[in-house]
Amino acid sequence: MAATGDNRRGTQAAYADPLGEPFLHTRFAPPARPATFLRRDRLVEHLDQALQTPLTMVNGSAGAGKTLLVADWAAGLRRPVAWMTTEAEDDSSGVFWAHLLQALHVTGAPLPDAIGCPADADRVDHGLLARLAAALSEGTRPLLVVLDEFDRVTAPQIAEELEFVLHHADDGMRLVLVTRTEPLLPLHRYRVAGAVTEIRDAELAFTPKEAAALLDLHGLHLPAEATRALVTRTRGWAAGLRLCALAAQETADPQTYLKEFEAARSTVADYLLAEVLKRQPAPTQDLLLRVSVLERFRPELADALTGRSGSEPVLAGLHRQNAFVEDLGHPWYRLHPLFAEILRAHLRERSPELEPELHRRAARWLRVSGALPETLAHGAAAGDWDLTAGALVDDLAIGQLFTGLRRDDLDELFRSMGPEATSAAADLVRAARDLCRCELDHGLAHLRRAEQTLADAARDGRMDAAGRLSCALLDVLAARLSGSPGGAEQAARTAEELRGEVPEHVLRKHPELIALLLTHLGSTRLWAGRLDEARAVLSAVVDGPGAPSTVLLREESLAHLALIDYLNGWPGRAERKARAALGDGERGLLPRPCGSGLGHTVLAAVAVDRDELAQAQALLDEAAETCPAGRDPVATAGRALASARLLLARGEPQAAATAAELSVAAEVACPWAQAYTALTASAAHLAEGRPDSASKVLDDIPCDGQPYAAELAWAHLAAGHRDAALHVLEALHGHNGTGPAIAVRTALVRARAAHEAGDTDTARRLLARALLQARRDQLRRPFLDAGPQVRRLLETPPLDELAAGWLILPPGGQGTPGDVSQQVPPLVVEELSGRERDVLLRLSRMMSTEEIAADLILSVNTVKTHLKSVYRKLAVNRRSDAVRRARELHLL
Amino acid sequence: MRYEIRVDGRMSETLAKAFPELDHVLMSGQTLLFGPVVDEAQLYGLLARFRSLGLRVVEMRQLPET
Repeated sequence: MAATGDNRRGTQAAYADPLGEPFLHTRFAPPARPATFLRRDRLVEHLDQALQTPLTMVNGSAGAGKTLLVADWAAGLRRPVAWMTTEAEDDSSGVFWAHLLQALHVTGAPLPDAIGCPADADRVDHGLLARLAAALSEGTRPLLVVLDEFDRVTAPQIAEELEFVLHHADDGMRLVLVTRTEPLLPLHRYRVAGAVTEIRDAELAFTPKEAAALLDLHGLHLPAEATRALVTRTRGWAAGLRLCALAAQETADPQTYLKEFEAARSTVADYLLAEVLKRQPAPTQDLLLRVSVLERFRPELADALTGRSGSEPVLAGLHRQNAFVEDLGHPWYRLHPLFAEILRAHLRERSPELEPELHRRAARWLRVSGALPETLAHGAAAGDWDLTAGALVDDLAIGQLFTGLRRDDLDELFRSMGPEATSAAADLVRAARDLCRCELDHGLAHLRRAEQTLADAARDGRMDAAGRLSCALLDVLAARLSGSPGGAEQAARTAEELRGEVPEHVLRKHPELIALLLTHLGSTRLWAGRLDEARAVLSAVVDGPGAPSTVLLREESLAHLALIDYLNGWPGRAERKARAALGDGERGLLPRPCGSGLGHTVLAAVAVDRDELAQAQALLDEAAETCPAGRDPVATAGRALASARLLLARGEPQAAATAAELSVAAEVACPWAQAYTALTASAAHLAEGRPDSASKVLDDIPCDGQPYAAELAWAHLAAGHRDAALHVLEALHGHNGTGPAIAVRTALVRARAAHEAGDTDTARRLLARALLQARRDQLRRPFLDAGPQVRRLLETPPLDELAAGWLILPPGGQGTPGDVSQQVPPLVVEELSGRERDVLLRLSRMMSTEEIAADLILSVNTVKTHLKSVYRKLAVNRRSDAVRRARELHLL
Repeated sequence: MRYEIRVDGRMSETLAKAFPELDHVLMSGQTLLFGPVVDEAQLYGLLARFRSLGLRVVEMRQLPET
């Protein structure tokens, strides 16, 4: 056993952990069986059935011997087994699946990278589970997955997801749950189908014969009668028998001793553990009590807690005796969970004041050895917040308060931080938590205090590069939230200088730090209207390392890039990027306090340009729902822009002008946001018959080659200032990088100007070009806004042909062409097949073809075939039209 | 809500301290723990604690309000 065990551990130790937790591998290894372990053939034989049934449940009380039974059985199988010891943090769906995927990788299961990784702690993408199930179902033989201590998972959601994967993995997975409580899976269904192997307390209980063999292994030889009595007294409970053996071993007359125990009628584990404990030498007792505060430990850590050296042989000895200590693979140990609980009760009684001190010592030791999550947990348990915050900041992990799987846990952990912590790190953590909730004033106050503390330390010659880099990151975020481009650039330069002063490997461990910095910098530059410079840093985030901790940042950066494309007049590109922002990693929007909802906003703005107004409204509603009234300037400005345009298109200019007013306070105004606010106000004035006011609000808008110049020109023209309009266009001329939406608007201005000047041929020529440019992106709105004269031109040959089908209605039609109900005459719809309905339903949830394929366990090509026939039957040729048409026909 | 929970075996004083929110009395071969329980969540938490300490619950009942 030793040889296989060591090999196994070798490969696991080498595996890097995506969550940055170096000791995670101890959770993916079954504990080693002690020399006194007794194999019981009847149980092993029963467990062999686990290879035939999808689900196996080993369900018994603490100390019933479940874990060792399954570990021993799995080791004898001579095939890879994915093992995961569940911990409390796994009760969040995202964390659970990230760890389970890790456990599968550790076994070398051939899983494609495309499965992805959860980006958020408390949820997992359904597509990810579908891809995982599909990958498992393709295995040559079922993969055995053991989840130990599954009772720690209480979330019904995780049970449901596990059931989904197990079901869809078909024959590719055998799940073994080792648990104290009955899991929330629909066990009755498995029982009816004969698809579950169950081993419960009654079966786990030792028979007198087995008990005799176990006691023999412990060097205790009893007459059959005495053994039977002991089994009755302990109800065959493994932990009870073990403790009996250990307690009796040390006595002169074991039989008499055990008789006394039988008569005592005390609770078994509690009584026996106290007996065994008091027979240990004093230093060993002390060691056991002290390590009871730890989830797992190695001898050096135990030494740190006792303040003495020499724990190693004691621990090895205890493991050999099968007394309390389990071996997780050299050199890690843990206490048997049952004994740990009871020992903690003893610790509290004997030295109640010691517990915080033990946590503090553990935190100090772990901080040096680099185990951040455990350092933080123990530091918090000790109430030593300077230490805890210091560990977080030193590790450059402050970004984890904003993004990544640990975000919620960390937020919760630091929630109890009291005012007594005064270190710079503590203030940085406070500032980060405030800024995360967009509480700018509180955040800035804490940030200034941290800066002061750091500066004081620097004067005394203590340079804290990690602290200052974290501070620079928060400065950039604060600058973003307060719309202060100068502040952001300054802080970003400071960060750049400090990057060289922190250890490269620590920085690499936390890619989210730089990604956060660049995202915030990009957002601030976008606010300042420096679109190209914004794009440079945002693209760097999107192309950066694809760690789980950066998924949300890449999405946020993509949404910002989409907005830049939109402002530059590239609706097609903007749409693709916004969709990618919503679909990368996790489908749907993740509720984030800052800056989110932007992807939906951009899609809504594009929809307005296409005159798909209902769609635009739905998108804006969803953005408002997932991210209510943030104070992120760019997101707010984007939303104001899209809402105002939608209201203008609906013919509600007053409401539009109100919507366009920015509700966010910023140090520096945003040029494009200001321009669009003025444009909306101008349109509102014009609509109410005040051309002079309409013209006046445009006066102060600078237009040196800004992409919005085309719309500015249009507004001037509409207000009756043809010269001003053409002048503005001159400034735009030769400006690179603008897309079809700008070109179309420019051409419309020139066409209308030419038409007004009586040059109808030039107007026609310009309009023809505009139609060709607009058709691909279905840009209907600019033409619908272009006024009756232009529209009349569009309805006459040869322009009507260019406009036919997408812009101009077939004869007799009314309303706008984007409105499908009026564009397509009611048809008798051919009945959709079940699969086609499935596809259509997912289409309506904005799933991509790939996601639909994964969800339905179909190939991408099959889904495309279904899509084509759905389109044909509904007489549409676009996804959004198909969904709308289906809704009208009540097919959804 | 007040509950009384009967556990198999006589608990040591040390272990009883793991339930500081409850009073207890030792009876013949059993321990009776009783006291206020805030809500269901605490009740299930208590049950989980009994289980993790290797204790066998033989009876549990809600006491009438006084």
